[in-house]
This record gives sequence, structure tokens and C-alpha cells, in this order.
Amino acid sequence: MDQKDLLFKQIFDKNSKKIFHLCYGYTGDADAANDLLQETFLKVWQNLDKFREKSLISTWIYRIAVNTCLTWLRSEKRQAKDELTDHIIENRIEEYTEKNEQVALLYQSIAKLEEHDRLIITMVLDELPYAEIAEISGISEGNLRVKIHRIKQKLTELYNHHARI
Amino acid sequence: MHEFDHIKSLWQSHSPEPGISAEEMLKQAKLEVNAIRRKSLLNIAGMLISLAAISTLLLTYDFKSWTAMLGVGIILLTVAIYTLLLYREHAILSKQDFTINPSSFIERLKEYQFSRYQLYTRLYWFYPMAISAGMILYFMETFERMEPWTQLAIIVFSFCWMVFCATYLRKAFLKREKERLELLIEKFERISAQID
Repeated sequence: MDQKDLLFKQIFDKNSKKIFHLCYGYTGDADAANDLLQETFLKVWQNLDKFREKSLISTWIYRIAVNTCLTWLRSEKRQAKDELTDHIIENRIEEYTEKNEQVALLYQSIAKLEEHDRLIITMVLDELPYAEIAEISGISEGNLRVKIHRIKQKLTELYNHHARI
Repeated sequence: MHEFDHIKSLWQSHSPEPGISAEEMLKQAKLEVNAIRRKSLLNIAGMLISLAAISTLLLTYDFKSWTAMLGVGIILLTVAIYTLLLYREHAILSKQDFTINPSSFIERLKEYQFSRYQLYTRLYWFYPMAISAGMILYFMETFERMEPWTQLAIIVFSFCWMVFCATYLRKAFLKREKERLELLIEKFERISAQID
């Protein structure tokens, strides 16, 4: 294995889990999330030489992942998010427990958000610093704080609404 | 009523595992291109076997007439030309690795797709015509030693096979290959378009 492959392996092992969770939160589907993860890291591998360390490597990877997710949904003309979420709830939760039900409700609620909001909130949930989220999503930090506050409220409302049904 | 902190702890307690490793990921990306390369190589291998068989026939069989020699010669030349064309196409794909220069690789895939299209449309008709001419000249000598019904059976079979290849088989192959390459080009373009 050459130097570049080794470096890539380290980067993949360190970041793939978080990126996969981001893709999973965005699509609500493990297979689609795996496809997106694959596309993201393929781009990382191709462009590793071009990375100039102006930002953190994780920020750079997140930005690629966010673009990948947004383009994926548009180009593939996927099913409506409601249908997709129902499909996930039916197929992904094998064992009924209270926690599994809550997790399913959470993904269902995230799926009801706008595309960009879904990505921003998954980064918030993963506790990425606001400055980093701002850089990844291309929004000023001030605007981002307002936006995050609104998305948090919306997600909490959606989650509570689903929990009551 | 749940608060946002509850949602956050729920999110963090659920950590789905990626279903792919770094090695598998790169291997998978290269797999589809390799399948097309392999198919293209098999195509060339088939043509080379035909070329060897016809050459052996030309060198070892004692033809009595010049027509049979010319017939086999035409077939041999046609197969050789098409083998070279197939090799040229194969070279378009095998020269480069997608992971090294994606945009240039996509251009090559498009070039390959266009070249394949030409081979199975405009250039295709020269192939059955030349093979038919060669076979007619070859049969002029060999038919002399055959029963009339055998001659008829060979002519009917050869004609039907050529028509089948030129119509149904050619169109089906062209359609399948076009779809496959379009999907592959679309996939690679999607991957490249998202690079910052």
C-alpha cells in the first residue's frame, strides 16, 4: 500500500462513521447512505492531492458529503421523502423496543425538514462547532445561528407531533 | 413533551455502522469499468481465435481454385481489420484509470461509446458484406464436392445467420451497450460534478 492509500485509509477510518451518519440522517436509508458515503470518499481519494489544509480535513470532507447528498437527491429524482421514510420505518426497525421506536420517529421527523435543514441539523446533532457548520454550508455564522434555532424548534415540534400519533 | 436535548441524545445513541471499508469502496468503483474492459478483451480474444483458424485453413488446405483462396483471403483480411478496430477501442478504455483523472476518463468513455456506436452502425455493414463476398468465392470451389441439398442447407443457414446477426442481435447488443455506458457515464459525471 503506498503513502496516499495509507493516508486515505486513516482519513476514512477517522471520518467515515460520522459521514455515514450524516448521509443516513439525510436519506433515512442505509443502502442509499452507503452509496453516498462511497461517492464522497471516492472524491476525497481523487482530490487528496489538491487538499491545501486551508480548513480542517473533516470540514472539507463534510462539504463534499453535503454536496454529494444534495446532488444525489436532485439527480436521482428519489421518492418523496414521506414515502421514503415510511419505507424505512417498515423495513429498518426489526425489533420493537421503545428506543427503536423513538429512533424511527426521529428519522421520520428529520425527513420532514427541508433538504439543507436536514443536513445542518445532523451536523448540529453531531456537535460540530458552529463555525465549521457555517464553513461547510456556506452560510455566515450569524445567519446560521438563527437558522439552527429555527430548525431545532421545527424538529422538536415534528418529533413531538409524531410521538403523539 | 420532549426537548431538543432528548432528540440529540437519541441521535447520538444511534450510531449506524457504514457497510463498506476503504478497500472495498475503491474496488467497487473500479469493478464496473473492469467488467467492460474484460468484455472488450473477450471480444478481441474471440476475433483472434477466428483469425488463427482462418489463417490455418489458408496455410494448410490445398485449394484448387483461386476463387477459394481469394474468398478465404477476404474473410481473413476483414476479420483482421475488425480485430484491429476492436483493439483500438479497447485501448481507449485501458489507457487510463478513473481515479487518476476523472474528467479525462469520462471523455474517454464517451469516445468509446461513440466509437462502439459507429462500429455497430455505419462500419458494421462492411463486415457482413465482405464476409459474404469471401464466403461466396470460397463456396465456389467447395460446393463442387457437395450434394445439392447440402449446398442449399449451407446457403440458407449462412443467410439466416447473417440476417439474424445484422438485425436482432446487432440492435439488441447496441441498445444494451448504449444503456450500460450511459449509466456508467452518468454515474461518473455525477461523482465528478460534485468535486469542489
